[in-house]
Amino acid sequence: MGEALAVSASGLVKDFGGKRVVKGVDLAVPTGAIYGVLGPNGAGKTTTLRMVLGIIEPDGGHRTLLGESRPRDAGDRVGYLPEERGLYPTMKAREAIAFMGALRGLEWKEGRKRAEILLEEAGLGHAIDEKIKKLSKGMAQLVQLLGSVVHEPELLVLDEPFSGLDPVNQERLEALILKQRDRGATILFSTHVMAHAERLCDRLAIIAKGTRRFEGTVAEARGVLPMQAHYVPHTPHEGIRALLPADAEAEGDGWRFTVPDDGVEPLLVKLIDAKHGISGLSIERPGLHEAFVRIVGEADAGDVA
Amino acid sequence: MNRTRRTLRQTLTIARRDFVATVFTPTFLIFLLAPLIMLSFGAIGGLGAATMADSSTDRIKLVALAGDGDGARLLRADRDLRRIFRESEAPPRLEIRPTSVDPAQQARALFNDEDIEVSAVLYGPLERPTVLHGVAGERTGTYMATLAEQALRNERAGTAERLSNATIRPFERERATRSGQQAAGFGAVFVIFFLTLLLAGQTVGMLAEERNNKVIEVLAAAVPLEAVFFGKLLGMFGVAILFVGFWGTLITQGAALLPGDVANALGAVTPAIGILPFALVYLTYFALAFLLLGAVFLGVGAQAATMREIQMLSLPITIFQVAMFGLSAAAASSPGTGLATFAEIFPFSSPFAMAARAASSPEIWPHLLAIAWQALWLAITISIGARAFRRGVLQSGSGGKMKLSSLIGRG
Repeated sequence: MGEALAVSASGLVKDFGGKRVVKGVDLAVPTGAIYGVLGPNGAGKTTTLRMVLGIIEPDGGHRTLLGESRPRDAGDRVGYLPEERGLYPTMKAREAIAFMGALRGLEWKEGRKRAEILLEEAGLGHAIDEKIKKLSKGMAQLVQLLGSVVHEPELLVLDEPFSGLDPVNQERLEALILKQRDRGATILFSTHVMAHAERLCDRLAIIAKGTRRFEGTVAEARGVLPMQAHYVPHTPHEGIRALLPADAEAEGDGWRFTVPDDGVEPLLVKLIDAKHGISGLSIERPGLHEAFVRIVGEADAGDVA
Repeated sequence: MNRTRRTLRQTLTIARRDFVATVFTPTFLIFLLAPLIMLSFGAIGGLGAATMADSSTDRIKLVALAGDGDGARLLRADRDLRRIFRESEAPPRLEIRPTSVDPAQQARALFNDEDIEVSAVLYGPLERPTVLHGVAGERTGTYMATLAEQALRNERAGTAERLSNATIRPFERERATRSGQQAAGFGAVFVIFFLTLLLAGQTVGMLAEERNNKVIEVLAAAVPLEAVFFGKLLGMFGVAILFVGFWGTLITQGAALLPGDVANALGAVTPAIGILPFALVYLTYFALAFLLLGAVFLGVGAQAATMREIQMLSLPITIFQVAMFGLSAAAASSPGTGLATFAEIFPFSSPFAMAARAASSPEIWPHLLAIAWQALWLAITISIGARAFRRGVLQSGSGGKMKLSSLIGRG
């Protein structure tokens, strides 16, 4: 089991200024998976990732990174894109990538060679000898991402990788992440944008208020919420509200409500018998966004309580 | 790859980046030529001052109102006495003017003459001359009185010929003079101070830039912060070595082209322990001074979060450096005193003061002791500095505020 996990963390705790910002987070990232750490701003995602990588030491709990109990010992097998992007402005793109590779044990010469290939593949061939300060923000961010994969790491950790990117570059980044996964790398990334997580993640954890509120697949997360029905009556009469479930809310010409435990058929029979008829009916599975809002909302409610 | 090798490799990667980023820029040329620029400004300023001084010196004169006989005697005495003065310290040129009917009036009139700037005027018989001098010309007044005395003494000897013909020849010392050693000591202290001032400032500035660019987290994620810390120190040390090498070569090669008397004068500025041992201990002290102060500056500089804070921190940093320089310079000018001993023992002034001691004292053993002492303090300072650096850079734990216990104890 332990060998199959690229990252394993249990009970991670971190205090800043006497305030506990991470309150016992567990993570189990399977090798070869794309794993998302989701959470609202200030949830403790970045601090958790930093503890996992050994950039800061946890005040409690323990973790292993690629089987190493000292994360630094796995340093050369890990790539990292921090939330706050940083490159030397006067360095050329190729040198910046080679430098990041050199920090992770790649020879400079080999790093430069790979940098050229990576930049060409990413559509940045024209920027190989450009200084970072001459590149757009999105391009510089892409260069930094290439720097984090140039040494072909077994684990790639990306903190909010999509923030600040335009839709075209977001798509490029998604492609790059999938390419890394196809190469056999494990990807661990944090985000608060559900669309990316929904498209990319094999598994995910939702963190709120410094604790993990959910862990599982995207489907399991969406399963946290019951199915929703959207019903449009053919000839609505007075008294229809009394026939609908208690949580039904008017929406446009129809009503939205949670599918009852015994299914929607008995309800439909009642509605037809009462001559309301059916003009439209759709059963919808809630998205990750709704599930996230519910899970995080419960955390907030729990906090208030 | 084991941990030590990996850390060493990462340290060298950081050092290489910092070295290249510093050296391969147009501004490095300005840094490298900074001493030349300083000298040029000094020379231009000096030249201007000298020109001004020369132009006014030409106009300042001593005047003797005398007849032909006394005038000739005074000129001869002036010629004899003037030889003992350096050119820069010589009295103004003596001019003999014929006496008018009222020499007192004539003398007073000379002070108001716009064509001549009179420092002192002598008139009357040489046995009882009257000397008038300006407010700031007391010494020239005394000189005029001495001239009259000497002119009469020459006369009493009964001959205008020289009575004594001395043989004057230069003598080359086998050892440097004490003042020469002190000059070498002061020079040694100054060069170390100058380099540490420039380089430590540059290191802290680079750190500030990295925090500003957020590069520091990229480094911190890939490399232990201790390696970042050492890498920065090593990178800047490489720059310092390049600087010393450049100027060392230039000075040693340039010395061969100097005129003989200048070379002889420079020869007096010789360290007491000899050139080669001095070069060795000097390099060691330079390295220790740079690493000691660099560790302090990096540790302190890492506590600043913004460029403004860095700028505010640079003042106490500079004051600290200047204080160490002042202490060591004082030690260099008074070797063997209690102050010098204190400067030699105090860890942060010790490399400077011991470099000065190498210039003024021939014993080798105190240097071996001092190097061991400084190495011990270097280990302590780097250990504390690296912890402060880690806490400051990542602002982790207790909101980034430093606790002394955390710096001394487990990090």
